[in-house]
Amino acid sequence: MNAHVSPPGETAAAPLLELRGISKAFPGVKALDDVSFALYPGEVHMLLGENGAGKSSLMKVLCGAYQADAGEFFYNGEKVTIASTADAQKLGIAVIFQEFSLVPYLDIAQNIFLGREPKGRIPGTIDRRRILADAKRLLDTIGFEIDPSIIVNTLGVAQQQMVEIAKAISQNARILVMDEPTAALSDRETELLFALIARLKADGVSIVYISHRMAEVFALGDRITVLRDGRRIDGVKPADVTPDQLVRMMVGRTVDMTYPRHFADKPGEVLLEVRNLTAPSGISDINIEVRRGEIVGLCGLVGSGRTEVARAIFGADPVASGEIVFDGKPISGEPDIAARRGIALIPESRKSEGLALLRSVGDNLVVSALRKLFPSGLFDPRGSQRTADGLIRQLRIATPSARQTVGLLSGGNQQKVVIGKWLAAGAKLFIFDEPTRGIDVGAKSEIFALIDRLVAEGAAALMISSEQVEICHVCDRAYVMREGRVAGHLTRNELTEENIVRLGMHHA
Amino acid sequence: MTDIAKEALSPPRSFLSQDAIQLFYRLLAVLLICAVLAVLNESFLSLGNILNVLRQASLTFFIASGLTLVVLTAGLDLSVGANVALSACIAGTVIHTTGSPVLGILTGLACGGIVGLLNGIMVTALRIPSFIATYGMLWVLNGLTYWYMAGETLHGFPAGFRQIGSGYLFGLPIPVYLLLVFLGIGTLFAQRTIWGQEIYAIGANPVAARLSGIPVTRRLLLVYTVSGTMAGLASIIFLSRLNSAEADIGESLTLPAIAAVLIGGTSLFGGVGTVFGTFIGALILTLVLNGMNLLSVSANWQPLVTGIIVILAVWLDMKTRRRAQ
Amino acid sequence: MREAAIVSQANPLQRIPGVAIVLGALIVLFGAIAPGFLSPANLSNVLVQSTILTMLALPMTLIIMTEGLDLSMGAVLTLTSLCVAIVSLATKSMLLGLGAGVLVGAAFGTVNGWLVAILGIPPFVATLGTLGMAQGLSLIVSDGQSVVGIPHSVRDIYSATLAGVPVPIVIALVTYAFFHALLYHTRFGSYVFALGGNREALRYAGLSPNKLLIAVYALGGTMAGIAGLLMTARMNSGHPTAGLGLEFDAIAAVAVGGTSFERGNGWLLGTLLGVISVGVLRNGLNLISLPSSVQVASVGVLVIVALFLDGLRSRA
Repeated sequence: MNAHVSPPGETAAAPLLELRGISKAFPGVKALDDVSFALYPGEVHMLLGENGAGKSSLMKVLCGAYQADAGEFFYNGEKVTIASTADAQKLGIAVIFQEFSLVPYLDIAQNIFLGREPKGRIPGTIDRRRILADAKRLLDTIGFEIDPSIIVNTLGVAQQQMVEIAKAISQNARILVMDEPTAALSDRETELLFALIARLKADGVSIVYISHRMAEVFALGDRITVLRDGRRIDGVKPADVTPDQLVRMMVGRTVDMTYPRHFADKPGEVLLEVRNLTAPSGISDINIEVRRGEIVGLCGLVGSGRTEVARAIFGADPVASGEIVFDGKPISGEPDIAARRGIALIPESRKSEGLALLRSVGDNLVVSALRKLFPSGLFDPRGSQRTADGLIRQLRIATPSARQTVGLLSGGNQQKVVIGKWLAAGAKLFIFDEPTRGIDVGAKSEIFALIDRLVAEGAAALMISSEQVEICHVCDRAYVMREGRVAGHLTRNELTEENIVRLGMHHA
Repeated sequence: MTDIAKEALSPPRSFLSQDAIQLFYRLLAVLLICAVLAVLNESFLSLGNILNVLRQASLTFFIASGLTLVVLTAGLDLSVGANVALSACIAGTVIHTTGSPVLGILTGLACGGIVGLLNGIMVTALRIPSFIATYGMLWVLNGLTYWYMAGETLHGFPAGFRQIGSGYLFGLPIPVYLLLVFLGIGTLFAQRTIWGQEIYAIGANPVAARLSGIPVTRRLLLVYTVSGTMAGLASIIFLSRLNSAEADIGESLTLPAIAAVLIGGTSLFGGVGTVFGTFIGALILTLVLNGMNLLSVSANWQPLVTGIIVILAVWLDMKTRRRAQ
Repeated sequence: MREAAIVSQANPLQRIPGVAIVLGALIVLFGAIAPGFLSPANLSNVLVQSTILTMLALPMTLIIMTEGLDLSMGAVLTLTSLCVAIVSLATKSMLLGLGAGVLVGAAFGTVNGWLVAILGIPPFVATLGTLGMAQGLSLIVSDGQSVVGIPHSVRDIYSATLAGVPVPIVIALVTYAFFHALLYHTRFGSYVFALGGNREALRYAGLSPNKLLIAVYALGGTMAGIAGLLMTARMNSGHPTAGLGLEFDAIAAVAVGGTSFERGNGWLLGTLLGVISVGVLRNGLNLISLPSSVQVASVGVLVIVALFLDGLRSRA
């Protein structure tokens, strides 16, 4: 496991930065498990893995945002500690975040030197000429030809990224960490970025590059490290592997599969039909069908438009064109209409979108069913309590009482409350967005058993998940999304992790 | 900290008992203030003064009760005072010209309600933050009222109409009965209707409320309209009590109403609070101001004290919330 | 996909039309319907009367850029104006009066900043509370009465001219120059942009957002203190409701001037044009004999429209 491949250009002997045996655990999840990683001067090191394989955890450990539970860091062969972002900064490690750390209405030069402005003659002032000249020189060294007095907000995404990089270089960064830097770039912009990366490499800057695009991995990478389940699977050179081999290294996660799934012999009538749906949130020409008794998977990479499809169906985001037919009749409008017709959305972010954390379990359980439970409009606390108690028993929600504040429950029990809220409302179609995120194994099985029972009773489920194993295990079939479109459809027989990854990744 | 750890560490508790404790503290405060005032000034416990306190508190309460609903949704209505002034002046004119108090009352309520609805439209459809939208409305209303009144004062209303604000029934001022009625209605609306439940849900987490199928826009429109209508109701009581209407009667009303809501335990961040708490808040504020009055402190001190109380109440609320999270 | 949708917004220079159109339209309108509006004497009058508002609206721009608000400015101005009146009356010294006003104003501003930055109280409630406090103190120190008999040294500030230019206009120009230099040419100015635009960036650069925020509010209070001197000079007295609602005109000028309530997008020249727009609106309505109440209502409508458009723009 820990054997390193030899560095690029066999002469470079010592790694610039070395991580040995890094582990990081969160309750219920082992995010990083004994991961070792070496970065040599002037190399582009690709980090590859599925969603949740540990790439971002590793990145956060690297830049000091997380502190590792175990493991050692070596910089130029010397043992160092990275306990804070300041430590990382001192070692010249800079992260180019996807959400930029720029101030939108300052110019490029002011952004680069924020907090380190050259002083003018009058105390407190900025030496305007010098800050522009310094910025210009810096931008020239990275080959970014732009007037440094331009306001950052008027720049495109790619240009803002360049400014971020310039800012990092100005702080003497020797190691740049880039998380899917091309995700929002056009082809032309991507070329510019690649040219810049080549130039930085030539200057001896090392780059840790996280990507989901096979083409990039092979075009840019000097070495590739593959992560899976928080472990380092292998370190290879691009010349030594094929894309297919890489995909096989990424998949094949071992997950405890204790939940049963009773597949129906033949699916029921069509419950949801989405035709040529296009929405300003970034999805286009979506065609999806869900039948009663089915669990249909919606997979693809994070950011491929899965959540946006769910939100558009539920009415949470506006729709530009296309048609959504539910239960035989077209549907459009706000979520309250979808909810009344029998669509349920179990959002990915339970805490911010699914629950009122400071309210009680009972209040949260009945909130979607108020109209159904109390058709007269008069709310009866005892009736509400009965319904809540019933659901707590039925779903085996571990809570002292219905009066417990829901924010104090565990993730799995919170998720049950969100599902319970829609059970009470009598929903027919359940749209799950990452239903098992942040939930321990036992609760996962329970949730899947619950979904299985729901569809067996004639409901239907559309399930978004980044856990391909789970999709393969529980879904009747699945749609795979890529860049806001449905890239393919997999039947029960075709439903394998490899197929999902292949359809979801960028091969071009 | 993680969920599991949190669950293990914190003893089970419920929000209801928290609410009960908070309410208990406030009632204690009422008693304490009463005791102190009774010691300091013997006329405090006179029937006349007690009835006076109740009547004063009821005026603050009418405005503050509607405002409570707005604050429950994590909004704010800074236009209530100006709304009272405009509604009073318009209702007064209607009574003067038609001679019909009923028509005047209805006009006052309608005027208040329409202003509230406009606030709601600004907050929902135009998506202007509530505090700034209603602050703009405050000045629009102020300007309209002064322009409409042109420095005039409306005087002298029918005796029957004047009974509303200054009359007595079985020894108690009529506004006190109205106070009890609206305290009941407000509490029932907030606690015992599905609309009330939805309002709490919206305040606790507007995103989750929308994704739970609650028609957030319509409920917000309702809440701002109710707040405006209650301001309209307060304008009628004022008109009847003062037996006159002037453009400036609303200027000193908004801050005390906000103070009453916040002292009453309704959180500025939404989702927590009760109409009954607001009643207690109105009572506490009135007692403090009444006490200052009895102790011959100039009325000039009132805005200063109210301002300090507003800040203290928000600060306390933030502290308890931070502990709850 | 959604996170990728970073919209590049229009260049701030493209916003010149917005407020310029408002101002141009108002000038054309009142030039046509208000007799004497375009006379040099009246136009000079508009500018002179805009001085105090300029001194409030410029710091208000900075405060709003930090996604904050200061509702107490008008009440603090009232209080400082009274302080100037009382102290200058007692000491016969304009400078001591000014000193007292500035001290009280700065104290209120600092308290506002402290409530917002350290206690974390939402700005609109925190400053609503201090509004009440300043209003109360104004009533207390003046006992609800006007303070009259102000020394000439104070009064002359408003009526004197410097090389033929009224002193208030000179003061307004100096104030504008100061704020322009402060916002666009100092480190502090850069950090004000960052307070609203990206507070994380400040922290990352090792700066304290809280201290900066307090400084911004304190600056607002200080300016209200200096404006208090002008207010006293203009009214030749101290009056316990002198500055009532002036903060609203200031907010109106900032909003009309195109400063956004989000992301630290401020524009001082826009605020200046906004101030003049508000001044023209009030002056024009006055000339066609509409009472000040209508002026107040019109400014209110102006703000709501401006905020609505601001919301549209930031959503686009």
